[in-house]
Amino acid sequence: MNGWTGKMLRVDLSAGSTSIEKIDEEILKKYLGGRGLGTYLVYTEVPPDTDPLGEENILAFCTGAMTGVNVPTGGRSSLSTLSPLTGTIFDSNTGSQFGVRLRWAGFDALVIKGISPTPVWLEITAEGATIHPANELWGKEIPDTISTLKERGTSTVSIGPAGENKVLFASIADEKGRSYGRGGVGAIMGAKNLKALRAKGKEKPGIANKDIFDFVNYEASKMVTASPRTSDALPEFGSSVLVNIMNEYGVFPSRNFQRGEFETAYKISGEKLKEDYLVRRGACWGCPIGCKRVTKTKDEKGEGPEYESIYALGSSLDIDDFETIVSANYLCNRLGMDTISCGATIACAMELEERGKLDTELSFGRADLLLKTIEDIAYRRGLGDEIAEGSKRLSERYDMPEVAMQVKGLEFPAYDPRGMQGQGLLYATSNRGACHLRGNMLGPELLGAPKMLDRHASSGKAGVLIVMQHTNAVIDSIGMCKFVNYAIGDDFFARFLTSVSGIKYETQDLQLAGERIWNLERLYNLRAGFTQKDDNLPPRFTEEPLKEGGSAGHVVHLDEMLTEYYRFRSWSADGIPSEKKIIALGLDTLEMEQEDA
Amino acid sequence: MLKDFQKFGKDLFYRGLTSSHGGNMSVRMGDRIFITRTGSMLAHLEERDIIEIGLDEDDSHIMLTSSELVVHRAIYQNTSALAIVHVHPPYAVALSMAVEGAIIPIDSEGSYLFRKVPVEQTASTVGSEDVAKLAAEILREYKIFMLRGHGSFSTGPVLEEAFQWSSSLEESCKIYHYTKTLQAAQKTIADSGIGELEYRKHTDDYDIW
Repeated sequence: MNGWTGKMLRVDLSAGSTSIEKIDEEILKKYLGGRGLGTYLVYTEVPPDTDPLGEENILAFCTGAMTGVNVPTGGRSSLSTLSPLTGTIFDSNTGSQFGVRLRWAGFDALVIKGISPTPVWLEITAEGATIHPANELWGKEIPDTISTLKERGTSTVSIGPAGENKVLFASIADEKGRSYGRGGVGAIMGAKNLKALRAKGKEKPGIANKDIFDFVNYEASKMVTASPRTSDALPEFGSSVLVNIMNEYGVFPSRNFQRGEFETAYKISGEKLKEDYLVRRGACWGCPIGCKRVTKTKDEKGEGPEYESIYALGSSLDIDDFETIVSANYLCNRLGMDTISCGATIACAMELEERGKLDTELSFGRADLLLKTIEDIAYRRGLGDEIAEGSKRLSERYDMPEVAMQVKGLEFPAYDPRGMQGQGLLYATSNRGACHLRGNMLGPELLGAPKMLDRHASSGKAGVLIVMQHTNAVIDSIGMCKFVNYAIGDDFFARFLTSVSGIKYETQDLQLAGERIWNLERLYNLRAGFTQKDDNLPPRFTEEPLKEGGSAGHVVHLDEMLTEYYRFRSWSADGIPSEKKIIALGLDTLEMEQEDA
Repeated sequence: MLKDFQKFGKDLFYRGLTSSHGGNMSVRMGDRIFITRTGSMLAHLEERDIIEIGLDEDDSHIMLTSSELVVHRAIYQNTSALAIVHVHPPYAVALSMAVEGAIIPIDSEGSYLFRKVPVEQTASTVGSEDVAKLAAEILREYKIFMLRGHGSFSTGPVLEEAFQWSSSLEESCKIYHYTKTLQAAQKTIADSGIGELEYRKHTDDYDIW
């Protein structure tokens, strides 16, 4: 079979057993791999009332049809699970080479369940999986763990102390800090007593129609070269190219989204990162864009920070000391934590302090306390133990939920939705909570990609957003990066998939697959108890207009957009997919099986 | 300045010199360039569509600028131009693929204005370093040139002049096209025997009517 290997590696850590299974070809065709396959596996194998940190939850590492294939940005893979942070179905996506090696070892998926009685690490080769003791690795930071396990031709991902201590936003990362970052996937690994995974593989995927593939690849490369975003902006400044632009638009959050601009944004901008910290560009496997930054401070060398990390560990905390922000980013990478949720929850604590709810030294602008606070979170010391639970739980503990900038328990990325109506709708409807990677409206609302919309208009945004949500689900499922979408669109993804798999996919087939994945995620969340009420935003965004900056005077008009959104999706006014829609997407059998179960 | 961009942007589109989202324009002010946003519609430019960036140095606004920025920069760095218009005028583009080396206008106005318009080609066309080098060299000598199969780059001290070169070239190419088409049509008529038809008889006598 081309396009997929058709094989899944299963590991039961409770039983200490491993096995290799076939994957039904029809499932791969329908769900494409990656996030789509992971969604199917979680939906069918993890009841929504499962304890996310218990034995029955699974970690489904899934590769896509393009993972490890020589297409622009074909180095992505995804990890699906039930999130301990949000309680929703969740997938976390990475450009780590781990996914590539897993695919080259011959697997579309690695599914881990159970809890090991003692710490272990997992070795994956074409022959299967081997469980090794990891007592000596336990307690180590991620780079130390990975350097211990390093071997030529392999790629390793690991948790750090944060994962071991079940910090609810702990990540899983490789030696370069490329992470399965969000949703607390590292806490699940920690709960399973699983320290690290090392994949070794060298069998590159076959291509069904090489001539067509080469031609599509040639055309795609031309498009990547022709786009100023993928050929100039991202290579030169990395994702932090957005700092100054977002600040000018008045959507660059500061002080826990109390403001939409940051006076000293220029001190923490992409330009400043290039000037003072950049050593060289870096790139994920197979990526011609190269947005990663290899950087160094006076004490340390590492990767990043990304745009989102600069907001979360900088402007949102009212900190403009770039050296501290870069160091904080390195520290999060070493300890294994999602920089967005980590910084955003610290910002929440700072606002609780500002409002007199929390008696602590940790206040806005205290750069001197940032590194210690991050360590306290990872090791669950003092206030750090409370922050480790995420902003939703922290704010509820102090009876002030309105200061948690989160949706469905997931903290916000770095775009204030008051200056981007469609982005507000995206945050509210995203199946994994407040996230910019589920159909980012940054392109159409601020950058003019593919076309410029009126960012303050609410009417008509639902339809555009839905198409983007589906496209993003497809990109996550085939194993490519969303940045390439600035240069190539659905038509290229369809032609790549067709030429690699030998199965005819038209653009509309991919949109349908994206819609199927989106609706299956929704159905899972509904079963988990989420309702239309959870498609919401913190009141700050709907009730408090920004006072200054490029988006002053605006709030998000969520209710009217949400009504339109449900109608576009053929969902009821309560946000429940209609029976007709479920049948049209071929999800009716799955739904019936789950109801029977 | 915004008004100039809007005025000439509208004219470029409504005169058929470029498609809805094609083409770009820029103005140089010292060491800064103001250039249209990538993907903007020249006929409907707003303030957000004019992006400021350095003449020599990138900054984060490169995320928004036209993909042809590299060509505009090279032209400004090597010529005295203060404004640039790049469009895809259909008659000129078509003619650029049918001639070698240069378009030589056959109409009086074009002949006076241009004498000739160089036609060059490169392997890659959009946002290409090759085009940038070529444009910077040719536009030291000429005010406009055609990139074969792609479009024109024209310069001037102000946008109006760069606009004029583009507009005039397209007009000359239209005249060239109509003339050649009509000449070919006349030959076809002459060769077809149509002159033997009753209503065509005595055609040559009409001049004494």
